[in-house]
Amino acid sequence: MSAEEWQIIRFTAWVSALSTLVILPFGLGTAWLLARRNWPGKSLVETLITLPLVMPPVATGLVLLDLLGKRQGVGGFLHREFGFDIIFTWRAVLAALCVMSFPLLVRSVRMAFEGVNPRLEQIARTLGAGEARVFFTISVPLALPGIVGGMLLAFARALGEFGATVMVAGSIPGKTMTISLAIFQSVQDFQDTTAWRLLGVSVVLAFIAVWTSEWVIRRKRTPQ
Amino acid sequence: MLLLKNISLPLASFALEVNAEIHGRITAVFGPSGAGKTTLLDLISGLRRPKSALIQLDDRILTDTSRRIFVPARLRGIGYVPQDLALFPHLSVRQNLLYGQKMDRGARPAITFERVLEVLEIGSLVARHVSDLSGGEKQRVAVARALLSSPHLLLMDEPLANLDLPLRKRIIPYLLRVRDEFQTPMLYVTHDRFEALALADEMIVLVAGKVAQAGAVHDLFSRPVSLDVAGVLAVETMVRASVIKTEHGLTTVEAGPVYLTAVDQDLPPNTREVYACIRAENVILFKGPDTSTSARNHLPGTIRSLEPDGPLVRVELDCGFPLRALLTRRSCEDMDLKPADSVTAQVKAQHVHLIGR
Repeated sequence: MSAEEWQIIRFTAWVSALSTLVILPFGLGTAWLLARRNWPGKSLVETLITLPLVMPPVATGLVLLDLLGKRQGVGGFLHREFGFDIIFTWRAVLAALCVMSFPLLVRSVRMAFEGVNPRLEQIARTLGAGEARVFFTISVPLALPGIVGGMLLAFARALGEFGATVMVAGSIPGKTMTISLAIFQSVQDFQDTTAWRLLGVSVVLAFIAVWTSEWVIRRKRTPQ
Repeated sequence: MLLLKNISLPLASFALEVNAEIHGRITAVFGPSGAGKTTLLDLISGLRRPKSALIQLDDRILTDTSRRIFVPARLRGIGYVPQDLALFPHLSVRQNLLYGQKMDRGARPAITFERVLEVLEIGSLVARHVSDLSGGEKQRVAVARALLSSPHLLLMDEPLANLDLPLRKRIIPYLLRVRDEFQTPMLYVTHDRFEALALADEMIVLVAGKVAQAGAVHDLFSRPVSLDVAGVLAVETMVRASVIKTEHGLTTVEAGPVYLTAVDQDLPPNTREVYACIRAENVILFKGPDTSTSARNHLPGTIRSLEPDGPLVRVELDCGFPLRALLTRRSCEDMDLKPADSVTAQVKAQHVHLIGR
């Protein structure tokens, strides 16, 4: 494998892992709010979060492009005020991966929180624990297999992301090119061997992530 | 003292409406399944909000909807042992016990970790994992965990319901020791007569969300105020009867073909129609010629069935009305009782309780 290919693999793995870590706190919070609280607008938020899962990724990418571009939205503000650019940089890749893998994380973690007997959280409160302590000492540890499983799924989804990424980050070698983009580019350039090598790598990475996720979730179901 | 005033919360099939003042060391909340017992505990502990209520523990107001006071569960100082015990499955026994332990202010000096372990005899369990405990051990650990949070009140929701009878009898002395040692008042939800009698000094009977009767446990079991309460308390014999006369403090009623004598119980004036209630354990059986005893009621009858119940036997008789008696297995064997045998049942006048209808 060439140095260029190794760079693409390292970049993809790194930015996918980072996106998973970035969405983790928001994913935990959102999943907990959806699992444990009733609030106005809950079903609207549920639907919005799920949208990227069912919409064409390119369409999601277009929305992101509009939001993060230099001329308007959040991107415009950051460009004007701080000279900080997102679009067509590694940050745009990160943003695309975050948005695309967030629904998968939230769905898994929400199910995991719903599987925790609410009586345990209530009794912890009667023992004097505040909400934060209940969350970190009861809810999260008991939902941990589902949380880890959800993180691995989100990571696997990020590894394979294409449509949204190509819209907001382009396919700039050495800068924003991920494995999926590189496979597409190689096929375009009639470099099938490179495409197949990268495909092999992405299969191995995805297999490890999904298999580990299944293993972690299965382990929870087995009684101790 | 726990004051429950104007508690109101609409539930699926009825509204929970409770007014009560609780002074007992252990007060049983007795009632059939679905009567609102657990909901009442949830309201007291602050896990649920009532539609309206004033809940006060000693001089501390915990809930007062009229003044928008609602102390959150974590600040109430009320220990709760739920029906499924809710031991934290991912923690060791020691971690479970220490979860709510108060170290500084608010800790009651009598309730130390060592003392609680000693009283409940769980010292040898602390290093174990929760999943390695037996039913009775889990039970004691759950009580200890609640106690170690130094509560001013301990709520127990049918804590022995999932244990078999011999184990239940072994746990009860531990609860009595907790009561005596730590002086923590308890509210004890149960629908088991044996537990209520063994543990509680006061009792509230809850039927369909309302307090049907409250008072000293023994009074309630021997003097239910209504047919509902008698049914909930499982008084075995309840027969329709008509008052014939009341004189010298004794009331005579006619129940089918037989007359029953009861100690006059201040029935409302001119009450004619009543239910006569007799607890099975207050019925004495004789075989052969009727023996003269101090009991006022001698009822000849035939045995319909005998049903063993642990060391006891439930005997169903036909004395002109169905009468149930509870004998030891040994007595049954000594008397060689069989279905269709003729016997005489004797019941003292003070054990016939009359409820107006």
